[in-house]
Amino acid sequence: MNKKSSKKSSSIENYSHLELFNLGKIFFKEKKFIDFRSKGNRSGFEAIKDINLKIEKNTFVSIIGPSGCGKSTLLNLIAGLQAPTSGKIVIDGQAIKGPGPDRGVIFQNYALMPWLTTIQNIEFALNTVFPAKTKADVKERARKYLRMVGLEKASNKFPKELSGGMKQRVAIARALSINPNMLLMDEPFGALDALTRSYLQDELLSIWRKNKVTVVLITHSIEEALLLSDKIVLMSSGPSAIISEEISVDLERPRDREKIEQDPNYLKIKMRLEKHLLRETRAVEEVT
Amino acid sequence: MNKAISTRLTFAVAILSLLIFIILWQVIAQQGLLVKNFPGSFKTIGSLIWWVSDPFFDNGPNDLGIGTNLLISLRRVLIGYSLAVLVAVPLGVLMGMSKLAQSSLNPYVQLLKPVSPLAWLPVGLFVFRNSEITGIFVIFITSIWPTLINTAFGVASINPDYLRVSKSLGASKSTTIRRVILPAIMPNILAGMRISMGTAWLVIVAAEMLLGTGIGYFIWNEWNNLSLENIFVAIIIIGFTGFILDQFFGFLQDKFDYSI
Ligand SMILES: Nc1ncnc2c1ncn2[C@@H]1O[C@H](COP(=O)(O)OP(=O)(O)OP(=O)(O)O)[C@@H](O)[C@H]1O
Ligand SMILES: [Mg+2]
Repeated sequence: MNKKSSKKSSSIENYSHLELFNLGKIFFKEKKFIDFRSKGNRSGFEAIKDINLKIEKNTFVSIIGPSGCGKSTLLNLIAGLQAPTSGKIVIDGQAIKGPGPDRGVIFQNYALMPWLTTIQNIEFALNTVFPAKTKADVKERARKYLRMVGLEKASNKFPKELSGGMKQRVAIARALSINPNMLLMDEPFGALDALTRSYLQDELLSIWRKNKVTVVLITHSIEEALLLSDKIVLMSSGPSAIISEEISVDLERPRDREKIEQDPNYLKIKMRLEKHLLRETRAVEEVT
Repeated sequence: MNKAISTRLTFAVAILSLLIFIILWQVIAQQGLLVKNFPGSFKTIGSLIWWVSDPFFDNGPNDLGIGTNLLISLRRVLIGYSLAVLVAVPLGVLMGMSKLAQSSLNPYVQLLKPVSPLAWLPVGLFVFRNSEITGIFVIFITSIWPTLINTAFGVASINPDYLRVSKSLGASKSTTIRRVILPAIMPNILAGMRISMGTAWLVIVAAEMLLGTGIGYFIWNEWNNLSLENIFVAIIIIGFTGFILDQFFGFLQDKFDYSI
């Protein structure tokens, strides 16, 4: 299924939605004013290197890797929040220069502004991205997206009055309100309890189906990746983390949480993922 | 229920301790236990009532009502303080945001911050040749440091998530400053402004002893009259005013505390 859609899109336009070419990121130590030892020596910490990846339009891709390997770094680069040290990021055939409203970012800690109410948080995004829109327009649109995540009633509440799950739904509504065609999510459900998490996973899937967005999701959870993704990207342990494998998840949709676990194909991929993660995590432990 | 009782109890204890204090003061003064002619609490309270019952008379600079003097001091503080906040907040934001501004301005801040603002008084008099402006200038110098330092610290320690959200939306620098950074550091700014106000209120009294008029000059004048009870009256009024000012900022801080 994944292959078919990629073939189809490549016949219309000969590029994918997102393409990464030899992407690398080195964090250089901040140079102190007086630092004789590191004179002229720009040594740094290479988080990721030689990342090559193609993501097709409207697909759901998960990135999994051991802790600290550079997943957030990779996502920040795609979001344009940090500049790569080497390589380039191409979206719809255009190399990106920085952040843009074509990409909606959802952060692990919700990142809602505590001085704004729920609806004002969304309005802030809308006002920033669409400065020409009228006040009434912005309010209406913000309401629409709050309704979409089922939080109409909480529109005048402040973030501190919301549960973790509700906050993340506001963050999702905010990211979607600017009508991006790509959603970048950094472990969005990591801090939530199991029940809320599965509820939000379902919600995310239905949003993804309805809104025609490409999703790049970073997760720690193999089950989450298998339930949601068309493709799973495995990263090696850092430093200098690379993409060690790309796995297509050819499981039929909609996927049922319970039934899917009996699917032999599911189990096969799951075992492969577990083996990989175990190996890479061990590698981390041996280094440290 | 329980809370009401404990509130009433606290109030009763406060009244009782005040009564004990007033009586002890009176006894010690009357018996001359401290020094001779030390005014007792009764005399001081009588004085206080006299000053407060007609606070705004004006019989020339050496004979002003205590309310008139208080307003003169408050006016100087408010002007100098407001100017200081207008300078300190933008400068603090700049220092918090830019490494260059930080490293070029910080040495001056660190060097000037520990200097008593009164050291600037002769400088002010020399430059402005005007005691009113000099008073405002001294308060300006006094008020600027705490607000500046707290603002810069607030910007430097702002939750990076807010900035990331703003950046990911493609917000301009000015939008980010106005809509994200300023509201985010409001608690820091208010904390700085509260300290600035407290220090300004301390310094104005000392400065006015050298400048003429104002509540500080009132104290100096009453010292020349050897009227200690009037000095106590001024101390009570100064303390009460400072308390009200501080409470006002406490109230603002509660309003802008995002964590509760
Ligand atoms: N600004 C930075 N300066 C220096 N080093 C950094 C910086 N950001 C990240 N790193 C380093 O780069 C590596 C990758 O970090 P990153 O946050 O991308 O990992 P991650 O895979 O998202 O980890 P986690 O699973 O814990 O979220 C880490 O070793 C981290 O210490
Ligand atoms: Mg991370």
